[in-house]
Amino acid sequence: MTVHTASPQVKRAPQGRDASAPHPAVLLLRTLWARPAARKLLVLAVAAAVLGPVAAATHGSGTWPSAFTVDLTKPLTGASDWIIDNRDSHWAFLYFFGHISGAIIGAVHAVYTVLLALGWAGVTAAAALIAWRVAGVRVAVTALASFAACGLLGMWVPTMRTLALMIVAVAVSVAVGALLGLAAGLSDRTFRALRPVLDTMQALPAFAYLLPVVLVFGIGVAPAVLATVVYAAPPMARLTALGLRATDKGVMEAVDSLGATGRQRLLTARLPLARRELLLGVNQTIMMALSMAVIASVIGADGLGDRVYQALSTVDVGSALAAGIPIVLLAIVFDRITAGSSTPRPARKLWATVPQGGTARTRTAATWAVAVLAVLGLARLSSQSWPDTWTVAIAGPVNTAKDWIVDHLYTGLPGIGGTADLAAHYTTWILNPLRDGLQALPWWGALLIVAALAWLIGTWRTALTAVLSLAAIGVLGRWELSMDTLSQVIAAVAVTLALGFAIAVPAARSPRVERLLRPVLDVFQTMPQFVYLIPVVALFGIGRAPAAAAAVVYALPAVVRIASEGLRRVNPGAMESARSLGATSGQQLRQVQFPLARPQLLLAVNQAVVLVLSVVIIGGLVGGGALGYEVVFGLAQGDLATGLTAGVAIACLGLMLDRVTQPTKGARDGA
Amino acid sequence: MNGNSAGTGDTTEPMTEQAQPAEADAATAPAVFSVRNLWKVFGPKADRVPGSELAALSPEELREQAGCTVAVRDVSFDVRQGEVFVVMGLSGSGKSTLVRCLTRLIEPTSGTIAIDGEDVCGMDKGALRDLRRHRAAMVFQHFGLLPHRSVLDNVAYGLEIQGVGKAERRAKAAEMVEKVGLAGLEDRRPGQLSGGQQQRVGLARALAADPEVLLFDEPFSALDPLIRRDMQEEVVRLHRDEGRTMVFITHDLSEALRLGDRIALMRGGRVVQCGTPEEIVGSPADDYVRDFVRDVPREQVLTVRRAMRPAAADESETGETLAPTTTVAEAIETVARTGTPARIVEGGRCVGVVDHRSLLDVVAGLDAGTAPDAGERTAA
Repeated sequence: MTVHTASPQVKRAPQGRDASAPHPAVLLLRTLWARPAARKLLVLAVAAAVLGPVAAATHGSGTWPSAFTVDLTKPLTGASDWIIDNRDSHWAFLYFFGHISGAIIGAVHAVYTVLLALGWAGVTAAAALIAWRVAGVRVAVTALASFAACGLLGMWVPTMRTLALMIVAVAVSVAVGALLGLAAGLSDRTFRALRPVLDTMQALPAFAYLLPVVLVFGIGVAPAVLATVVYAAPPMARLTALGLRATDKGVMEAVDSLGATGRQRLLTARLPLARRELLLGVNQTIMMALSMAVIASVIGADGLGDRVYQALSTVDVGSALAAGIPIVLLAIVFDRITAGSSTPRPARKLWATVPQGGTARTRTAATWAVAVLAVLGLARLSSQSWPDTWTVAIAGPVNTAKDWIVDHLYTGLPGIGGTADLAAHYTTWILNPLRDGLQALPWWGALLIVAALAWLIGTWRTALTAVLSLAAIGVLGRWELSMDTLSQVIAAVAVTLALGFAIAVPAARSPRVERLLRPVLDVFQTMPQFVYLIPVVALFGIGRAPAAAAAVVYALPAVVRIASEGLRRVNPGAMESARSLGATSGQQLRQVQFPLARPQLLLAVNQAVVLVLSVVIIGGLVGGGALGYEVVFGLAQGDLATGLTAGVAIACLGLMLDRVTQPTKGARDGA
Repeated sequence: MNGNSAGTGDTTEPMTEQAQPAEADAATAPAVFSVRNLWKVFGPKADRVPGSELAALSPEELREQAGCTVAVRDVSFDVRQGEVFVVMGLSGSGKSTLVRCLTRLIEPTSGTIAIDGEDVCGMDKGALRDLRRHRAAMVFQHFGLLPHRSVLDNVAYGLEIQGVGKAERRAKAAEMVEKVGLAGLEDRRPGQLSGGQQQRVGLARALAADPEVLLFDEPFSALDPLIRRDMQEEVVRLHRDEGRTMVFITHDLSEALRLGDRIALMRGGRVVQCGTPEEIVGSPADDYVRDFVRDVPREQVLTVRRAMRPAAADESETGETLAPTTTVAEAIETVARTGTPARIVEGGRCVGVVDHRSLLDVVAGLDAGTAPDAGERTAA
């Protein structure tokens, strides 16, 4: 890849040689200097040669030197104790945080009450009705079947609890995100200030957001909603801002030329023109909110996530699956409804059906009134919760199946040797050596490698951020644990990229493969991270290997999608000219598609790293250890200091990994 | 070259006014837009360029020294009531910037613009909005339609901005849709229309506000040649029916000649020549203009007024008669058919004759040296 950055510069080197024919060594240096990549590496090599020995002599070459660490445990414990002691008396809690918390709990409770009052039939009918109006009959059937399935699985009440939490969190996220996005869309300065923050927030694993809210609000529904809002609002803000900024300049000029006021501009032109982005923002916010609402079960959000969490902690795969399936179904329903409203085709149909005349409008109003009455009627007729007699207990059979897996697939399969064997091999032969290697790496060496990678791919700014983030981990005293997490991430990313590109290349070349793959990718991309833990525990038991497997499965769809789209969208003219020159398909791939799709491929790597990290961290719940476990442990034991430092280390690791793999600013726009 | 053409730009204006007393109504009509010494400079500290020694620099030097680009350079002209005033130039000549300055969609750097004697540059926000809403409406090259609204609502959009009630603006919009020949397509979205139809929507939207002046910014450049022809005829028809003042920006010389009562030819931000199509083609102000109009079929544009010579004693009584506004092409047809010189009659008096030779001279461009004579003779 570095060759391509340098290629335009290479041509310049011979001219330098002609001008003055100097010593070969000078010549070599000059040639190297002409390539930006080599120049950057040269600078770093000099820095390493000077600083390395000094650092090694004064602070050793092992892990992060203890002289540079700052023990934050005491002040953090102090702060946490102070907050616990003063939560009921200090004015900040009484008049500010208390009200926030109270309002959230009140809102969630109110929504929950309404959902219960509607009853199972009412809620299911309402969901189907909304889906039908917004996205068509097929989605309505999906919604109907999904809610019925939630009831059948005996998960009606947890589903309603999750739904209530989601509705409140999404409403707040969309409102906050839209306001921030509006500000950033209308003012350049706000946009410049907000954009790096939003970019960074989207790169951080969900777990990093949990601890700070717990510190202030304790455990419960309010912090769960707040963590969800913090996690889910950025995409809305980002897409709103981008949508408002991308409005057609020609249209805006025409609107100006008609003498529109600022308000008219915004309401009649800018917002409607950004409709697609706004709806996409709502869609992403809902998906992120669901994902977080489930994870937030570890800080006291009850509902489906809590059921999964409880079941996983006792390795009860059957119960975990019974709670996991409704999560997946909710995700699919939400995604289809919101995506259905933003795709162009049904959207135009929706527009077209919006009637112009008065009579047609009264007719739609009448339809709606009838529909609402029907929902209310069903609500009166049906009981609050799904009837107990109509449930199917799948936990038992699933656990039986899982036992069968343990007996038959774990070991002794001919050829591959069983899943447990695979996991053990992966741990022994890949994870352990990698972890030991990283932990044995001199600390200054690690900093240099990070600097080199980040600088080669990005700018000196990204390199600086990456190095500072890694150093911050050392300062916090989480060096060894972070190297453990890092080893898991690197191994899983390697597997993800190998598999991802292996799938992406045929998908990019053959429309049939792409057609087969698309629905699979759609479903996999909508599922919350948490859900992936269930099947991998069934297959691989607990430990670092299942966490890695979950991470790979979670990150794979995004990698395949971005990479194959990048390869497919390569300028057809360039491909055609390559073919006309008689290039073989391998040559086309190597010499045209890969180089031209480079930004997209780098973006795929970046996304792989970000997504893998988020699941590897959650893997702390299934024996992944390292930083993720520290957070879980801190929460479980009420030891917030440990959890918080681990949380900050996770954020730093996420930032570092994102910056190391962040190609250019522009390329991320497409994501 | 630059200095030379600047002089031309300044002097052309009075010359033009002298050259046109024949069409008395157009010449004496009051000016709708009156532009004097207009500058538009893009870049840092743009306002220090006009009037300073920087103004004398070439575009490249200026970009190097001050980081500025001059889009409009000391331009003055009047747009008279009821005329089609065409601003023509190649891309980058500043014509689109110029028309945007008229309603301050782009803020001019210096100079004055007046509409009906009222200073546009001094208008506050409200007055400016009023100007854009009621007095000058614009039609854009890329249409600028709202994709989420129907044709009817797009046409009614300007009225909606003005705060006109729903029923009234829809009725008015329906009338305009009818007028531009889109009846039956009211409920379509712009995306479902062809380019020509979209521009008709843009035209209808501009007309709906019943503005004093219509501003066209290369409205037909994005259209196919045949459709462009249709649309040009549409504009000619509209102008004939309503007599609305129009400022028309184009890079297409044939379009300019077809539509324009007067043409201002721009180059590098300056107006290098301003005059009737006949003056532009018949008496190019400099080599640039001459080069520009070289391929124009002269016989289609020039009139017999230019080709005639004083009548000899025996000629003023016999032969076919032609009006002075007859094109050379038509005169050729007459002369070739009859085989004798034709008389040019104005107000019952023979002002000259055209014969084979004089007509051929005009077609061949050999009359160039006599151009000023022709102007003076007309004036006299």
